[in-house]
Amino acid sequence: MADDTSAAAGTSTETGAGTESNLRTTKPGTKRLFLTVSVLISFLLGAPFLLKSTEIHRSPLPSAAISSLSDHLHSNPPSFPCHFQAIFLSPFKPSDSSLSLSVAERIRAQLSAQSCGNCNFTVSVTVDSGSSCRHEGDAASAACLWECGGGGLVDAIEGRDDQGIDELLLSAVNGRTGGCAGRVYSIFVIEGRDERVVIGKHRHAWMVLKDLDDSTSVVSMIGTVFGDYFMRGGVEKGEYIPVGSDGNVVLSFSLLNSNPSDWIYDWDFQRTGEVLLAPVLEALAPVANITMESQVLYHAPKSSISYWDEKLEAYVVNTRDLPFFVNSNEWHLDTSLSASGRSKVLQFVVYVPSASECPLYIRTPEGEMSKTNAFISPMWGGVAIWNPPGCSMQSQGIHIVRDVLPPQELEKIIEIFIGQLRLLFGLNSNYVEPSPKFKVLASEKGFTNWELDLLYRQHTCFNLLSSLSTLQSLSTLVESLPRMIVMDEIGKQVELSLEAANLAESNISLGINNASALSSIRARALAEDAFFHPSIMSISYSSMEHYFAIYMPFFAPVSLHVLLAAVKEVKRYFAERSKYLTFRASKLKSS
Amino acid sequence: MASHTFLSLLLFYLYSFHLLRPIYCSFGSNGFETTSVPKEEEFSEELLLKPLPDYKVLAHFHFTSTSPPSSSNGKHHHLFPKSIAQLVKKYKIRELELSFTQGRWNYDRWGASDPLSTANGKPPGVELWALFDIPTKEEIDATWRNLTHSLSGLFCASINFLESSTSYSAPLWGFLPNNGDLRYGALPREAVCTENLTPWLKLLPCRDKAGIASLLDRPSIYRGHYHSQRLKLRSDGLNGIVIEQTLSVVLQPIDRTSWSMHQLFKKSLTGKCALAKSSKVFLEIEGNLVSQNENILELVGEADMVTNDQRDHSTIYQYNVERYSEHEALDIRVNWKKLLQVSFLQAPLHASRFLMGSGNERGSIAISLQSARNSTKGLYDNSKNCFTRVVIFQVVPWYVKVYYHTLRIYVDGAIRDAKDVVEKINVAPSEDKVSPGTLEMMLQFPCGMMSAALTLDFDKGFLHIDEYPPDANQGFDIPSALVSFPDFISRRIYPDSISSPLLQSYKGRNIVKSYTEVLLVPLTTPDFSMPYNVITFTCTVLALYFGSMVNVLRRRVSEEERLAKSKDKRKPGLIPLLISKISNKVRGIKEDSANQSQSSQPILGPKVVFKVVLIALIAVLGHYIFNSS
Repeated sequence: MADDTSAAAGTSTETGAGTESNLRTTKPGTKRLFLTVSVLISFLLGAPFLLKSTEIHRSPLPSAAISSLSDHLHSNPPSFPCHFQAIFLSPFKPSDSSLSLSVAERIRAQLSAQSCGNCNFTVSVTVDSGSSCRHEGDAASAACLWECGGGGLVDAIEGRDDQGIDELLLSAVNGRTGGCAGRVYSIFVIEGRDERVVIGKHRHAWMVLKDLDDSTSVVSMIGTVFGDYFMRGGVEKGEYIPVGSDGNVVLSFSLLNSNPSDWIYDWDFQRTGEVLLAPVLEALAPVANITMESQVLYHAPKSSISYWDEKLEAYVVNTRDLPFFVNSNEWHLDTSLSASGRSKVLQFVVYVPSASECPLYIRTPEGEMSKTNAFISPMWGGVAIWNPPGCSMQSQGIHIVRDVLPPQELEKIIEIFIGQLRLLFGLNSNYVEPSPKFKVLASEKGFTNWELDLLYRQHTCFNLLSSLSTLQSLSTLVESLPRMIVMDEIGKQVELSLEAANLAESNISLGINNASALSSIRARALAEDAFFHPSIMSISYSSMEHYFAIYMPFFAPVSLHVLLAAVKEVKRYFAERSKYLTFRASKLKSS
Repeated sequence: MASHTFLSLLLFYLYSFHLLRPIYCSFGSNGFETTSVPKEEEFSEELLLKPLPDYKVLAHFHFTSTSPPSSSNGKHHHLFPKSIAQLVKKYKIRELELSFTQGRWNYDRWGASDPLSTANGKPPGVELWALFDIPTKEEIDATWRNLTHSLSGLFCASINFLESSTSYSAPLWGFLPNNGDLRYGALPREAVCTENLTPWLKLLPCRDKAGIASLLDRPSIYRGHYHSQRLKLRSDGLNGIVIEQTLSVVLQPIDRTSWSMHQLFKKSLTGKCALAKSSKVFLEIEGNLVSQNENILELVGEADMVTNDQRDHSTIYQYNVERYSEHEALDIRVNWKKLLQVSFLQAPLHASRFLMGSGNERGSIAISLQSARNSTKGLYDNSKNCFTRVVIFQVVPWYVKVYYHTLRIYVDGAIRDAKDVVEKINVAPSEDKVSPGTLEMMLQFPCGMMSAALTLDFDKGFLHIDEYPPDANQGFDIPSALVSFPDFISRRIYPDSISSPLLQSYKGRNIVKSYTEVLLVPLTTPDFSMPYNVITFTCTVLALYFGSMVNVLRRRVSEEERLAKSKDKRKPGLIPLLISKISNKVRGIKEDSANQSQSSQPILGPKVVFKVVLIALIAVLGHYIFNSS
């Protein structure tokens, strides 16, 4: 071997003895160049395949569609088609021709633009007094308009009480309008002696006015009834609706005996409570599927401090101490096992104070006693304090009092709870009338029809917005973690949720209430399912470091070799070629 | 005293053989049927104190809540815990028992065949079994899984680990005779502490705010030698739902001969829970003290009632908590005048279980049964037809692969044919990663037998790297086996003048049973960094091979050598050559120049091969050294 090399070296000395020489007689070979470059190229070509084969499975999420729909809904909150109609049953000559327009203007003036669950309304005015029948304003279709011929109503109203009038007008409305997409809200205007405005339990109101000629006051009255009551429920509504994402709510009623060694009260909730609450639950059925349960707990003191008030001869809790009233250490209210999945549990607590703090009252910031002796905590529930009779007489015997909450007391408490439920749902617990001639009829079901419509609209809108915000959070999360596994199931759920949201939105604008509520609930449930999918919660997330740790030991040294070889060969080839070219040039020159 | 023990034992056995043998027993019937159905939800609390032969004291808390059968169960409740009623309703549970135990019940010293130890001796860790009122097997399995999750949330414990099908089994008769609707699971390693006690107390109407439960001072009760917290519930259309919550603790009094409740619990009992229908404290002393002269024991605090059970096995002192108040707390004080020689009832056979064999590959499980009547040898020898029946129920996780055909049974040291001894056997072999192996076996031993042993060989399986727990080197637990003696029934009947759910439950026909020790099986623990090591090692070898192949194909050896030679005519050694080459490379001296046509050398010369092998060798060695260090 050594001999061979030396011989070879010997023969090559004359051709320029290696490096020193700048000349080369033969064309440089391309065999090795081709080899190294082809290896490099095959590596480069193989790289996409490698990346493809090591790819993490990520189901594509329609993030563009999500953000566009979400932007659309935020700039343009879904509004439900409603029709407001004012029906003048008495002869009325409007001073200006466009009464409906001024009513609409009056409503719009008070409308906050960005609130959810508003009406996309049309207003019409009908004068229906015996012979004359005149329609004015716009309506989605003729079916929404009042069909004339209700002249007899004025006489029929005479002499009836409010409940009677309400029922009478309901049958009239049902008979004379129908087939309208979206809800129709009516107000009947009658000329009469004693002025009053009454809002009924259904979707209509009536007002008796002395003087119909003062059109600005008529317009303002009609506008208030439509805008503040039928559309907004008389309140600036809260952000949240306490309904679980699967549309279930559990009302958990608890009777808390603060100290059973003083007295023990039991209740017959099953008999009294269920009877009183059943119509409320039935009324709320379109908004939420509500179930009830009750329990009695003992040794459950409150955790805020109460003071003895000499003047009232009672213990007093100030409003600012109420946040500490609920004693989460000792009140084992428990989330219900029957509240499966993502249902919402609302706690309603009757607190029976112990002898050392009885009677107990809540003092409002104004220094007055709370009328109901109760308070709510939004999204959690409500608490009502019930002082046992004769508890101020401190002389308790050795014998423990064991008693049952009297049914009439329980009825009162449940009425308070119904009010609290209304508050929790974002309605007024009861309406404070601005003037004695203004009246809002309360339904024995706890919720009037127009209030339920309102809840329905808000709930649908809230579901829609919350499903989109969930979807958007999910897509942001997925984008921020490029190596997170996204299961196909999640992708499918997101798509279905988006589909349902789109459907809900189009149904809302078409005025199909049931379908829109259903698909909005579905959209929210699916979005939550996707967000809380177990595969997202688990650590099925392979990091970039992990990836490098696996492939570096092979690819780092190999790529070094391949790259170096290619660079060297290319360099050498060009160097050799230039030598050969100079040789050829000199040869040409010499020849 | 010894003669007394002997006599009582003899009496017990005679009774059990001659009277109770033909009765077929079922566990679940302990005394519930005798209670009349109440109209309202009821709650009662009881505490039983019992001095143990080794000067320890057993405190057994017993709380009973009943809910009459009603359509509103699970919805409206007054005293009964709503969550439990909802659990029963949702999962259609007929019977359920959940126990959290720390330590092991010492059957040798604390008694094995009295009703208290039979019912309350529980295996260490968590044990859960439930009978469902559901027809199909698939539904039962699904319900069981949901149930474990609910209980896990309810009791702040990792009961949800019983969800996987590898951790629960469906015994047919070894644990409790049933129609395939029973599920049984155990977690031997679950630690028990206050976070499990608090939710358990939440189910009581007074929690630990008043009544007997107020004695539960956490440091005192967790200092004990044995601690078992139980929840047992039964639900049927006749009685509604009945839950028994018991807590048994074995405590060591500071002074052996004299102790009081206040010393034991560091708290005093000032009154009953206002919601309880009855609130009683019992002191039970084994043996008939009433008929004997009371010179052994002195009690401070007057009992409301003293009574014996029908067969004079024990004496009960009853105290009604109602009589006591803040001003006069109930504090039972026991002074032993003589050193205690309390008799106690042993099980017919003492069962223990252990592992045999060494290494990480295979081993065998042995269950040894020692006759407790060493002194009474030959008592039954003459009767050829006398047999003792023993039921063994054992669940083995799948990674301990038991070969059931290797079952060997030794009676008095001599191997016996399985056919002669095994009366009934039911084996559900384990399936890898799917189900555990279950062995239910009914054996018949001759009465005069002194000892018996069973062995079963097993192989240790391999787990997937993900399946190892964080503390893999500690080993894996095999849950306790249950050894029960269907012919022996522990029951004590007290006069009807005592109305107590606790003593009522003594009346039931409890089969004598004992749990064996938990076994710890060490499995081969892999090096958990192994996958990475393999990856890096293989990649390095491949990269070396690949790099050298590329170099071999590319480099012009003759040209480089010629260059080197032209620089230095001396023939350098191998190492200087390498060094100079490396330094050349480092300095980046251009070597390429010469003529390609001159390289007439074969590309793969032996020298090149040698170099490649050398480099590979160095790399391998280096890798090995780095990894091992």
